[in-house]
Amino acid sequence: MSDVQLSHIAKRFGDHAVIHDLDLHVAPGEFCVFVGPSGCGKSTLLRMIAGLEKISDGTLSIGGRDMTRVPPANRGIAMVFQSYALYPHMTVAENISFGLRMSDMPKAEIERRVARVADTLELTPLLKRRPSQLSGGQRQRVAIGRAMVREPVVFLFDEPLSNLDAALRLQTRVEILRLHRQLGATMIYVTHDQVEAMTMADKIVVLSAGRIEQVGTPLELYHRPDNLFVAGFLGSPRMNFLRATLVPDGEAVSVRLAGGGSLVFDLPGTPHGEATLGIRPEHLRLLRSGEKGAGLVLSATVDLAEHLGAETILHLTASDGTALLLRTEGLARETIGDAVQVLVVPEACHLFAPDGRTLLNGSQG
Amino acid sequence: MFPAPIQDARPLGRFGYAAAVPIVLVIWLLPLLAIALTSIRSLEDLSRGNYWGWPDRIMAVHNYRAVFTSSPMGRYLLNSIMITVPAVVGTLALSSMAGYALAKFRFRGNLALFAIFIGGNFVPFQVLMIPVRDLMIHVVPLYDTIWALVVFHMAFQTGFCTLFMRNFMRELPDALAEAARLDGVSELRIFWHVVLPLVRPALAALAVLVFTFIWNDYFWALVLVQSDSARPVTAGLQALSGMWLASWQLMSAGALIAAAPSVLLFFLMQRHFVTGLTLGATKG
Repeated sequence: MSDVQLSHIAKRFGDHAVIHDLDLHVAPGEFCVFVGPSGCGKSTLLRMIAGLEKISDGTLSIGGRDMTRVPPANRGIAMVFQSYALYPHMTVAENISFGLRMSDMPKAEIERRVARVADTLELTPLLKRRPSQLSGGQRQRVAIGRAMVREPVVFLFDEPLSNLDAALRLQTRVEILRLHRQLGATMIYVTHDQVEAMTMADKIVVLSAGRIEQVGTPLELYHRPDNLFVAGFLGSPRMNFLRATLVPDGEAVSVRLAGGGSLVFDLPGTPHGEATLGIRPEHLRLLRSGEKGAGLVLSATVDLAEHLGAETILHLTASDGTALLLRTEGLARETIGDAVQVLVVPEACHLFAPDGRTLLNGSQG
Repeated sequence: MFPAPIQDARPLGRFGYAAAVPIVLVIWLLPLLAIALTSIRSLEDLSRGNYWGWPDRIMAVHNYRAVFTSSPMGRYLLNSIMITVPAVVGTLALSSMAGYALAKFRFRGNLALFAIFIGGNFVPFQVLMIPVRDLMIHVVPLYDTIWALVVFHMAFQTGFCTLFMRNFMRELPDALAEAARLDGVSELRIFWHVVLPLVRPALAALAVLVFTFIWNDYFWALVLVQSDSARPVTAGLQALSGMWLASWQLMSAGALIAAAPSVLLFFLMQRHFVTGLTLGATKG
């Protein structure tokens, strides 16, 4: 088990910087997920750790040793590619053993290792086949096997599930987690899929435009986002954002929504000005006729009701025209065109400054 | 489906097609058939003017043996092989390495270099005649040796082949080489064990093409060699036409012998023309 330490890492292609002065520590044995929209630099960062991209600035150390200029093969890492990158002209066994065969490892040791990996990944019956004779999931397992056989201290995964169909994705996700428990190795995993990030990670690193937006456990990031970007990126359906004006009032601040109504928060020292109020769809509550709740009540009409079975997502338009998403029970009776009353509870609200920074995170989980 | 299959055409169209195919085939193959027939005739048969009828005597063994015994044809054939084989091997080796570098490595001037390879293809070879001949006489003393032809053909064919290989290799996923690089495999071994096996169809196609070009070359054989010891079969046949004068049966037999290797190679290489070898490397 080894840790991975990035210090002041930067990457430039010519004059164009794609990673800016980035610091990150991945603890030994940790499952760390890089997540972010496409083009945020997450794959580039992974390839820099792998040694496939040169590090323009800063230092990388793995297991306490400086690896900034060390060739990929000597970093003790192994990588699983998005496209699997299996050699089409080699059998599964040859694919797995290729790297070992090219070093001067004794034949018996190679066979022992291949057999063990094949056993772990249930590839033994497939060893003589070629990649073209395998299903997507099987190819994926071969790619993982090829990484495992090197017995690396750090595994790198570059969007390994994005080519699989939904059912297989779920299954492979579980398998990778099982493997992580079994091997205890440090794993760094890149994805643009927030569900993968939330379900797999010990630690999520949210990236945007080559910078780290926030690092933390999945639930930390979900409930206590550092800024508007993280709040909006994690969570599906995404958080509702309402334009508001802050009016300081002694120790408290009054948040006046653009569409009318206001909420009061204990937030000393906030300046007067613009802000964004954020609330997750599951924290909005429908008020059925006659019901009362402590908080702000918004009137809205239903644009669309998505019945997912276990839950219903209502797409609403508030009276001032703001679009809202609301998550409610699966048997909700509301249909298109209905007028509804929505309760906003202050304890569930997040407040963001105009620059995107979080002023306040709701305490309701 | 476009074009519509002939099976779906109207009866008249189908009939026209069925009638046209054999006619075109015969017109196409007639000269070849004439030469094949002539090569097994006797000289008397030809002097009597029997060009198209059945030969009065089948002289196949006699004629073909005569080609080898009464002329340096064996020597010419050997020269052709000694010129063509090294030139093809050298061309493929150089162009696949150059193509790989141009396709997969980022370096300054990559595109400019590639443009030069393409541009070289547009230089008419007649323009090169005098300079190359001078070069071979005065600078690199290879004139009138088979090496003159080997070196020249290699240099000349590498341009087109590099263009071809570069474009073919560009389609290989980068991740294949990267995966090997992560395993600590050297660039040369990646090239040998990963890249070359995957471009085998392209190599086979180029091998046949370039082999045919070089084997059939007549122009440079005239320009760069003049003695029998270095003369390939194309120029040799021409030289023999003076000696055999009216021996058309021997000319024909010689021509067929000269043409055989290209055809043979085509059939030998056919099983390598399998595309879709990269299927399964990556999804999709």
